[in-house]
Amino acid sequence: MKSVSELTDFYYKNLYPTLEKLEKDRKNLSHRIVMVGIFLTLIAGVAAYSLKGFYEFVLFAYIALGGIAYKFLVHDYTHEFKMSVIKPLIHSIDSSLLYSSTTHVSEYLFEYSHLFSSPDKLSGNDYVKGQIDGINIQFSDLHAQKKHQNSKGKDTWTTIFQGLFIVADFNKHFNGETIVLPDTAQSTFGELIGQWLQSNNAARDELVKMDDPSFEKEFVVYSDNQIEARYILSHALMKKLLDFKHKSAHPVYISFIGTHIYMAISYDKDLFEPSVFRSLLEYKVAMEYVKTLHLAIGVVEELKLNQKLWSKR
Amino acid sequence: MSTSLIILVVLALILVLMYNSLVSKKNQVENIFASVDTVLKKRYDLIPNLVASVSKYMEHEKSLLQEVTKLRSEATKPNISDGEKIALDAKISSALGSIMVAVEAYPELKANENVMHLQHTLHEVEEQISAARRAYNQSVTDYNNAIEMIPTSFMASLMRYGRKQVFEIDVSERQNVNVKELFS
Repeated sequence: MKSVSELTDFYYKNLYPTLEKLEKDRKNLSHRIVMVGIFLTLIAGVAAYSLKGFYEFVLFAYIALGGIAYKFLVHDYTHEFKMSVIKPLIHSIDSSLLYSSTTHVSEYLFEYSHLFSSPDKLSGNDYVKGQIDGINIQFSDLHAQKKHQNSKGKDTWTTIFQGLFIVADFNKHFNGETIVLPDTAQSTFGELIGQWLQSNNAARDELVKMDDPSFEKEFVVYSDNQIEARYILSHALMKKLLDFKHKSAHPVYISFIGTHIYMAISYDKDLFEPSVFRSLLEYKVAMEYVKTLHLAIGVVEELKLNQKLWSKR
Repeated sequence: MSTSLIILVVLALILVLMYNSLVSKKNQVENIFASVDTVLKKRYDLIPNLVASVSKYMEHEKSLLQEVTKLRSEATKPNISDGEKIALDAKISSALGSIMVAVEAYPELKANENVMHLQHTLHEVEEQISAARRAYNQSVTDYNNAIEMIPTSFMASLMRYGRKQVFEIDVSERQNVNVKELFS
């Protein structure tokens, strides 16, 4: 697989003509957005002044109209960007991968992963699916939300998860369920109380204490089978997951169910979206696209999912 | 209600909880040891097959093969203690390791489909054993902690619970193979 620096080279060399063109569009677009913004603000100001009241309503209309206008304005540019930058980037890693800018990993898989509570609304985009070294892999951007009712009976939405969701074949046979979550209890409440809280988590299976201190510090493991959890999480895999977590620099949720490994990396933002107010040629902007893609597609190699055991051949 | 009665009830409750937690820890250890036993048995079942397939070729390692066979028959005897099982497991692991290294010296063995299959099966069983051992060690650690820490230690000494032995994991087993060292 191509390295991050090779991909960066590809981004700046092969995609340069496209980027230059997009960069022009982007400048025009940001100009237009600012103009529309000023125009909308003026109208809102006038409306608020002449109505003398209904400020809440005006503010609501201002935000809603602004949002719609923004979406409408960036729509073509976003599509163009995804088709001429993200898609070639993915294909430069592996040309057999399929990419769809509008669909996402199915809700069934998201719920089946048992990583989060079931959402009331699931959206997402940038779906990639294919085989790497004979391992089926699919991932996409996901945004899972839950509906709540506040005391006034109004609906509010909270985010359960937003980020990258990866599903891949796993190379070992197992029957149970093993779930690896970021260790928040132990880092907030200290080892003793944290562990007590974790072992009394009613929503999860039995707590599995792992024998790798640095892994145990970052993650907490729940499983319905103590031995199977350790069969899956060998010393080598624990080390690799730890490296993966450090590489992603975001909270990582992992579960092993059925024949698959599910990974959710919480970025708390929509990924692979074109930058509007910053240049596409900026190194930091480019690196974000390249690194995220490399991380997702590199899972197979990184976790050595392609090294199948005898019984799975 | 008198205060002394409340204190008595609370005290009794604490004692019952302590007793139950110790018993559940002891049972967890036994429960996991049973699983360890199952995977160990899986490996014992592979040994005769392995010895039969390699003995034709391995002229110089006859003693090694005899040793493994002997260890196996010892380990499969009925009524041996958990401690003995643990000790025998360590010996069998190292003996099997030596056989696997020796196989490398025989090209015709390495190419043999049957041996290759056995090698892979053994490898998979080893992984299962390693997982079971780790689970067992963790449950023993929890148990040993409980019987040595205050306040459960008092209860444990009344119940005559003693420390249990863990599987020693070979240091070389835990380290990744250093390729550089192999060739130097």
